[in-house]
Amino acid sequence: MYVGQAIRRREDERFLRGRGRFVEDITLDQPIAHAAFVRSPHAHAAVTHVDTAQAAAMPGVLAVLTGADWTAAGHGEAEGVWPVKDMSGADSRTAYRPLICVDGVVRCVGEIVAMVVAEDRHQALDAAEAIEVAYEEKPANTITAGALDPDIPLVHPAFGTNEVMVTEHGLKEETEAALANAHHVTEVVVPTNRVTAASMEPRAYLGHYDRVNDRYTVWTTNQAPHIVRRYFTKSLHIPEHKLRVIAPDVGGGFGMKLYHYPEEGLVLWGAIVCDRPVRWVGTRSECLLGDTHARDHHTVGRMGFDENGKILGVKFETLAAFGAYESQWQASITNAYHFTMLSLAYDIPAIHTQVRAVYTNATPVDAYRGAGRPEAVYQVERMIENGAQEMGIDPLELRARNLIPPEKFPYQTALGITYDSGDPPVLMGKIKALADYDALRAEQARLRAEGQWMGIGISAFFDMAGAGPVKMMNDLGAKVGCYDVASVRVHPDGRITVFAGSHSHGQGHETTWSQIAADRLGCDIDHIDLVEGDTDRVPMGIGTWGSRSLSTAGMAVYTAADRVVAKAKRMAAHMMECAPEDLDLADGEFTVKGTDRKLSFAAVANASYHSGDRPSDLEIGLEETSFFDPADCTYPSAIHLCVVLVDPETCAVTLRNYWAVDDVGTVINPMVLHGQVHGGLVQGIGQALMEECAYDAESGQYLSGTFMDYAIPHAEDVPSFGLDAHFTRALGNPLGAKGAGESGTIGAPACICNGVIDALWHLGVRQITQPMTPKKIWRAIEDAKRTQH
Amino acid sequence: MERETISVTVNGRAYERAVEPRRLLSDFLREDLRLTGTHVGCEHGVCGSCTVMMDGVTARSCLTFAVMADGAEIETIEGLGSVEAMHPVQQAFWEKHGLQCGFCTPGMLMTAVELLKANPDPSVDDIRDAISGNLCRCTGYQTIVESIQYAAKLMREDGP
Ligand code: FES
Ligand code: FES
Repeated sequence: MYVGQAIRRREDERFLRGRGRFVEDITLDQPIAHAAFVRSPHAHAAVTHVDTAQAAAMPGVLAVLTGADWTAAGHGEAEGVWPVKDMSGADSRTAYRPLICVDGVVRCVGEIVAMVVAEDRHQALDAAEAIEVAYEEKPANTITAGALDPDIPLVHPAFGTNEVMVTEHGLKEETEAALANAHHVTEVVVPTNRVTAASMEPRAYLGHYDRVNDRYTVWTTNQAPHIVRRYFTKSLHIPEHKLRVIAPDVGGGFGMKLYHYPEEGLVLWGAIVCDRPVRWVGTRSECLLGDTHARDHHTVGRMGFDENGKILGVKFETLAAFGAYESQWQASITNAYHFTMLSLAYDIPAIHTQVRAVYTNATPVDAYRGAGRPEAVYQVERMIENGAQEMGIDPLELRARNLIPPEKFPYQTALGITYDSGDPPVLMGKIKALADYDALRAEQARLRAEGQWMGIGISAFFDMAGAGPVKMMNDLGAKVGCYDVASVRVHPDGRITVFAGSHSHGQGHETTWSQIAADRLGCDIDHIDLVEGDTDRVPMGIGTWGSRSLSTAGMAVYTAADRVVAKAKRMAAHMMECAPEDLDLADGEFTVKGTDRKLSFAAVANASYHSGDRPSDLEIGLEETSFFDPADCTYPSAIHLCVVLVDPETCAVTLRNYWAVDDVGTVINPMVLHGQVHGGLVQGIGQALMEECAYDAESGQYLSGTFMDYAIPHAEDVPSFGLDAHFTRALGNPLGAKGAGESGTIGAPACICNGVIDALWHLGVRQITQPMTPKKIWRAIEDAKRTQH
Repeated sequence: MERETISVTVNGRAYERAVEPRRLLSDFLREDLRLTGTHVGCEHGVCGSCTVMMDGVTARSCLTFAVMADGAEIETIEGLGSVEAMHPVQQAFWEKHGLQCGFCTPGMLMTAVELLKANPDPSVDDIRDAISGNLCRCTGYQTIVESIQYAAKLMREDGP
């Protein structure tokens, strides 16, 4: 069995030897021209004049293109695949992110106004600088909290409001009643900071148009290449069969590389206009500004408890930033992934939530690792923590009293989602033991007596992973079918190529998909190769996002491999003169049960292609495809626990310990699993302590344009993690796998913030906005002192 | 722009090339020599993806002009290990899952090689300190630390 083994990764050698092939590394048989962009320096302005004459005459310049050219060419927009759906029935106010400014108004810093294509990058940049754009500045707002206040400038005045849509879910009356009758009510105001994925590989695109054969090719840093084809049917109106999308090695995605970014459409446009391949590679500043941002919720919440700390009901009112425009998957957060998960790991009888999505003059928000669930966990867990502290009940004990007990699974939450399997009390027991919780509390008391500030943070949650089935996701607003696809091709020599519609940009599919296939096919893992990321080679795919690939594409591999085995068994039975049911397949050989009669898989494969002696109703060849639609989403769960030390002198936070106990169902490769958990945790730590896409409130200028200003965790900033696990099988797929990509980013921000609040509670601190920088912590302590005196 | 001729040795091979004075070493390696293993993650000296070895010490090729490498010996990821056998650091990253997307990996490996030359038995803190100039967004660093510890062990066992 390969499944369950910590096999070292089969894709690693090329990266370790510097032979990875990223978009920036691609060469073609004709010289590649380069694109550079002129971007708005203003958060909101009318573009009154664009003068391209001087730039067009500069050396090496092949084309200078503007929104007017785009409109004249009849091109379109990047339409959403998960568009806004206003559940109250009112018209949603959709304004998709334009590829280039076409209506004479720029609505956020960084919006593209013009493109230069030139022979080399420097020439393109020089010419872009020579383009003169006249702007007339308009009032702007980049802040989510007040976006609906009456005197706030409108991002899209035609809508008459900054509100994109309103949704409400859950049990309104029951929740009001629960809060009215509660023994204790906790209220918190919790903004979730705006962050960005900041993959180490910047976004990059290469477009090519083969005029003679009328074929288009795009190499893209994207997680879902088949969906890129779909975007192009709307932006450049290219039919899907004419466009080949290749997503080669991609250096991290985290959800952020799922979209049809302006530059992706524009380089292909440039390639068509100039009849030359055109490439753009983002600078870090362009990426920190133009990559989709994430989170940016502003939530007011109230939670009611009975006298024993049992949660009776919880109510949320959230403003969710969209930024200046709607990005293609944006409503997957507000309409699918946020509200559904607000019950976390707790048995809460009444929940009601209202979300109002708002436009601001900031970069569009879209999904980033966790997408809606980190916000949900932060919002709920902050209330639980404060409630426990206020009621004087040990925070772990209060949580334990509220966990969903194992006998209630499958458990339907007050928001209508049903968790198929899980056992939160076991996770809690394990983390308590792992962290030696009682000893930590004793240490905390001792240190506090000495004037040291130690805090213990906890978060417990469920994730909705494995996006699918198609119908459920359609009902939640998806306009793409959430299945996935794999083909298993057995070659005549018995070796195998697997084609999958997922895309690995760090996840290790070449290893894990091969582990699954090798087990099903009873063959050596080295007899299998994997192809992903090429729409001309892979039949179809929905791509890798939302911790979905294992339970969709992985399951498609599993299913297609089983179909191959079933067919091969018929051929083998014919050759061995027995019934297919009498055959076992293992170690590359068919064996007649209970005998030593054997026939190699390779011989059967060869005969499948080249022998006329076969069952009359058995088609030639040995290749099967599965379009796998799972029976359900998957619901991984986890509990996190951390220890923080806050320095009373500097207010700096040291994250001393971090433990996580995960339930991700069946594990394919524990080494890969741990890597996913670690990576997510560090991104979550970044959100809690240092990361923020910041805007100047006055001017709307973007302040986080370099890695000096946008701080992501270094090796020194984070501890080593203590992980444990307890696995309950997912019921929605035969593998029993749940998906594991997002647990870290979902649980860590809440856990760490709770730890810091726990450390400072005795000083009167009740809430600190993330990222919890020393300055904010100092300010919170000072404010607490003032209100107490 | 006027070009200057430089001679550099890269991975043991001598090159003579005419370059513009503003040409960065990272672009020179990637575009002129087609050694695309060296990656550019930030082009402002913070991420460490572009780290190469220049006369035996690590350098950020995105902050180094190609003309500054005139007469220097450069080692890039492509020169690490041999066709037959990987360098122990590469081997260790493979065994201990020290990479996910592989983008930061070349820079990480060069930094690890430099550390292990100076300190054959580094502690976890030594390692975290040494790689603090190399950002990785995928691994969370723990497996990188373990990889470097394991590489140190392999190198101590193998002898110099
Ligand atoms: S690319 Fe040189 S340090 Fe980031
Ligand atoms: S492995 Fe992806 S950035 Fe380090």
